[in-house]
Amino acid sequence: MTRIYTESEVIAAVAYLTEPRLIAFCQARLVSPVQGESGARMYRETDIARLQLVSDLAENYELPDDALDMVMSLIDQLNTMRGDMRALMQAVAAESDEVRMRIHTTVHRLR
Amino acid sequence: MAGDPYAALGLTKSATEAEIKKAYRKIAKTDHPDLNPDPKATERFKAAAAAYELLKDPEQRRRFDAGEIDDQWQEKPRYTYRPHAEAAGNPYARDYGFGGDPDLSGVFDDLFGRGARARGFGGMGGMGGGGDRQFHMRGQDLRFQLQIDFLTAARGGKTRITLPDGGDLEVTIPKGATDGQTIRLRGKGGPGMGQGEAGDAYLTLTVLPDPTFRREGDDIFVTLPVAIDEAVLGAKIAAPTIDGPVNLTIPAGSSSGRRLRLRGRGVNGGDQHVEIRVVIPPNVDDDLRAFMETWRKTHAYDPRKEA
Repeated sequence: MTRIYTESEVIAAVAYLTEPRLIAFCQARLVSPVQGESGARMYRETDIARLQLVSDLAENYELPDDALDMVMSLIDQLNTMRGDMRALMQAVAAESDEVRMRIHTTVHRLR
Repeated sequence: MAGDPYAALGLTKSATEAEIKKAYRKIAKTDHPDLNPDPKATERFKAAAAAYELLKDPEQRRRFDAGEIDDQWQEKPRYTYRPHAEAAGNPYARDYGFGGDPDLSGVFDDLFGRGARARGFGGMGGMGGGGDRQFHMRGQDLRFQLQIDFLTAARGGKTRITLPDGGDLEVTIPKGATDGQTIRLRGKGGPGMGQGEAGDAYLTLTVLPDPTFRREGDDIFVTLPVAIDEAVLGAKIAAPTIDGPVNLTIPAGSSSGRRLRLRGRGVNGGDQHVEIRVVIPPNVDDDLRAFMETWRKTHAYDPRKEA
């Protein structure tokens, strides 16, 4: 069961996150919290972890929202690719020697 | 966390408030676990973040310096985004470019197809159901070698290949095809599974050499034998081109090696270059011999001397 957090729980858990910042990040769609039954915004663990990174970037680099959006887009692309790559690596690792050898040969020819 | 929080920031007790902030930011920029995958960087960052938490507040710092707060200072639990972002079903997953790749998008979608997975995201923390997903896979790509003759490559044309499964396939060779070029036949590879599309067939061309023509890029090169009289007096000769013979004027007094150009007679608007080769008749008869002996007495020249 995934735990869901309220806005005040999120602000307490994330370093450098303030209420105005949280509202701004939501408006800039840097995070997309889910709608709770009462209509209040509710946050998943992923949202909290993401907010920590966004807050760190905003705090340490003093990045404006549009630059934050660009950085997060690149980070999302990279992490999605890393997740895909990890899955592919696991699939390759489970293959027979013969198949792995063929993949190895092709990869080395291309790169 | 034990140890010296000042040391974790690379500072000493005498550091100013501004120096503490600056030192923390510097470490946060280089060692943030979401920006730097090195585990050592993460350790440095964690220590610096905990130290900064303690020292950034002047009152808290004063109490720590005075020994009022235990030096077992607290490390606050801190979220790292990467494990969430890499996890399957991450709602912030983002396409990173293979979707638009004409050669790889099909293979990519079979493996990672964000489109199919995204449907599971609607609800709270929704995950794409893995177990009940129907299996669709694009068919295998097939690769073949195909030999074609020089003129088919230069002019383009159609040829047939026989596939391993016995079927045959008409292949259109594009005009100006080159040796080593790969032609993709969409959907002509192995059949797909489920709703997967068929794979593609890739044909790598080997262009066979031609006794008459040679090609460099779009230009065609030909060596044209001419008789002595044609070379001396000039002539109009039918020269071979890839599209059939074309009349070519040989200027009077042309030596072997002279190059003439037929503009636009190459491949795709390239030129044809004709190199003249003067050929002595196979049998030098008495008439020719007699003429040359007479001519030599009064007109001898040395072609090895620079003009």
